[in-house]
Amino acid sequence: MFTTGSKYYFGVAGLGSLGAVLYMVLVNPCDVGVLALLGIAIAMSLVGGVAQFTDDFDADTVSEAVTASASAPAKSMWPLLLALGGVLLLVGMTAKPIIFILGIVVIFAAGVEWALQSWAERASTDSAFNRFVRERALSSLELPLLAGGIVATIAVAFSRIMLAVSPQSGAILFIMIATAVLVVGFLVALKTNLKKSTIAATCVLGAVVLLVSGGIAGFSGNREELVVAAAEDHYSHKECEAASSEHFDKNSNNAVSMKSGISATIRVKDGKLTAQLIGIDTPVQVVTLARSNLTTILFRNLDDAQYRLVANLGTQKVGDTGVEEEIVDCTQMTGKDQTQALILKISKPSASSGPYTLTVPGLEGQEIAVVVP
Amino acid sequence: MSHDSTLTGSEQNLTIFKGMIHSARLRRIGLALGASSAMFLSGCASNAPQDTWQPKGENAEKINTLQWMVFPLAGIVGVLVFSLIGYILWRFRDKGQAIPHQSHGNPTIEITLTIIPALILSVVGVFTFRGIFQLAQTNDTQMVINVTGQQWWWEYDYPAQVVNGVEIAQPIITSGQLVIPTGTKVLLRETSRDVIHSYWIPALNGKKDAVPGRINLLRIQANKPGIFAGQCSEFCGLSHANMRMEAVALSPEDFATWIANQQRNAESPAQATLADEGETVFLNQCIRCHQVNGLKKADGTAAIAAPDENVYAGAAPNLTHLMSRNTFAGAAFDLLTDGCRKNVWSAAPEEFGAVYLKGVIADCLNQTNIRRWLRNAPAMKPMYANPVKLEASDGKYRGMPNLGLSESDIDKLVAYLSTLK
Repeated sequence: MFTTGSKYYFGVAGLGSLGAVLYMVLVNPCDVGVLALLGIAIAMSLVGGVAQFTDDFDADTVSEAVTASASAPAKSMWPLLLALGGVLLLVGMTAKPIIFILGIVVIFAAGVEWALQSWAERASTDSAFNRFVRERALSSLELPLLAGGIVATIAVAFSRIMLAVSPQSGAILFIMIATAVLVVGFLVALKTNLKKSTIAATCVLGAVVLLVSGGIAGFSGNREELVVAAAEDHYSHKECEAASSEHFDKNSNNAVSMKSGISATIRVKDGKLTAQLIGIDTPVQVVTLARSNLTTILFRNLDDAQYRLVANLGTQKVGDTGVEEEIVDCTQMTGKDQTQALILKISKPSASSGPYTLTVPGLEGQEIAVVVP
Repeated sequence: MSHDSTLTGSEQNLTIFKGMIHSARLRRIGLALGASSAMFLSGCASNAPQDTWQPKGENAEKINTLQWMVFPLAGIVGVLVFSLIGYILWRFRDKGQAIPHQSHGNPTIEITLTIIPALILSVVGVFTFRGIFQLAQTNDTQMVINVTGQQWWWEYDYPAQVVNGVEIAQPIITSGQLVIPTGTKVLLRETSRDVIHSYWIPALNGKKDAVPGRINLLRIQANKPGIFAGQCSEFCGLSHANMRMEAVALSPEDFATWIANQQRNAESPAQATLADEGETVFLNQCIRCHQVNGLKKADGTAAIAAPDENVYAGAAPNLTHLMSRNTFAGAAFDLLTDGCRKNVWSAAPEEFGAVYLKGVIADCLNQTNIRRWLRNAPAMKPMYANPVKLEASDGKYRGMPNLGLSESDIDKLVAYLSTLK
């Protein structure tokens, strides 16, 4: 009754009309979005009518193609998905960019699939051969995407599980899963006469267990210590005193892997505070830092007592008030032979509200001057 | 073109067509030869300040030694390979002959053609790696300068240190021209405030990227006093081509003089002068981004620039000693008139320091350049400085905007800037 091409246009017109009705009910009946969707519906109806009237614009070719094909075109979901992509595109224009991007992706994917399927259906009169050429053309696209989707699903499910269980349980779980994968892989490689259905069932079972566990873990939320840390927001309220802080110094790392990009290394050794700069062999007591640039300083404690490095960076006005507050930043408490990084961005020169200094609470009377030109 | 009367019409047309193709081919060959000859002859240019084959310092000489070994070798290999390809194309061109016997593989030829390049690359590799390690050496550094790139200029700050017995008690900050003492191993600690740039003064060393959040090291050393041109060599946006730099090498004595001058604060001009009025204009307009050390506001407090509030990179050139350098706007434009610039660039090494340290005296100030800049900076140097198109940079400028100054204000500003020696 309907030609192949006209179905697509009528499908878009129908979805456009549906979208317009939903837009009127859910968003705003007087918005320009309604006009746009209705415009699309009317335009697509018109083009669909013309396509129907002219046998998809080329009666000879269509009739020749139909004659050449042993069977009618297979049922396809791609026109529907293409239309859905168009709706997403339009809704995305008025709603959220992510929906718009999703619409582009759906249109592109459905368009490619539909075009190649149509091409393959007319490749020969042998439907088996046509399926073969379709798979051959599309496997290079479908398989990597499918693999990417599977890997992403596994990663998300696995990460939910690892965030939900305790670190100790996580380590044990990780070892168990890795061992199970190794054993199954070993068996598959060793038992060459293993039935394909057995292997497939094992994989499906594993996937189901992973997905269900991931889903449960996702719904149950992160483990308590992560929830508490997020609620307490340890890093937002730094406490730079000599004494250890309940929140800020909790779970301090005391080790950094950073080996480059360091402006200065501040050391505490035998109760003395010194600074070392790249390119200057002798320790210095003045450090120059570039203005308005992220600067990393390493703090290395070589003494038995725990210390932290504190950067005193002058004062700033609180909003439009006349109140001046001190700008202070610091590392967490750093143990013996441990290192922490302090990343600073100083927007005002030291001449403005200086002097700026680096100090270590507990080592009174010692400081490294910081000059910001 | 003569026509053969024995040929039919279509044969004559074919002959004419072949002739057209022949002359078109000749034109193409001529064009290609002309272009390649022009490129080849450009290597003979005498005024080429960024010539990589004219080293003026220890590190650049190491690179030059290496390239003198590698380039001839690569040239010989290239000539051999292309000659062979040309010979094979000519000797075995299609003349309607039968397709020769096709064979797969010849172990003797394959092994030979693997061993010969491997040997050549091994020899080149040994010298290259030796050069790389030599260039990376920093443990005998005698001076350190922090170099910070941003769109589209370089900032140099000299940390407190003692250089050749001269103490830099207070850090120095400047831009555009990097001033170093001769015969001194200078370590540049490079970083960037916005995007990746690359610092390159061919006469003194190779390129080194300036990457945000990282500090990369580059060692330079100049043998004799002089001035050496450079260019940002990592595409960094709209005015990448205008992000230039110059290194100025002074004798240790002249360098000490330069240090002493740079550590001074700017002094206010005499009252009731045009320059004095210019200082007021500066305090109203330019201080938003540009710092002049020692400048005070009307209430006597220090005038502190706030480039972090107005410029995407968070910095603008410090102008305390603007007239002690010869260029401005990322060394893209001259502060000196052409004649005075020529005097600096052509000065003999023994006279160079005295000529350079004079700075920009009144007769040498390039009024045209600085006035054009103050009138409409983005018209001179492409920058993201349109106030209605700053969404991508959080409402901050990348470069200097058009301040809409009146001609009277420009006169005053030029008078004031001229005092910043």
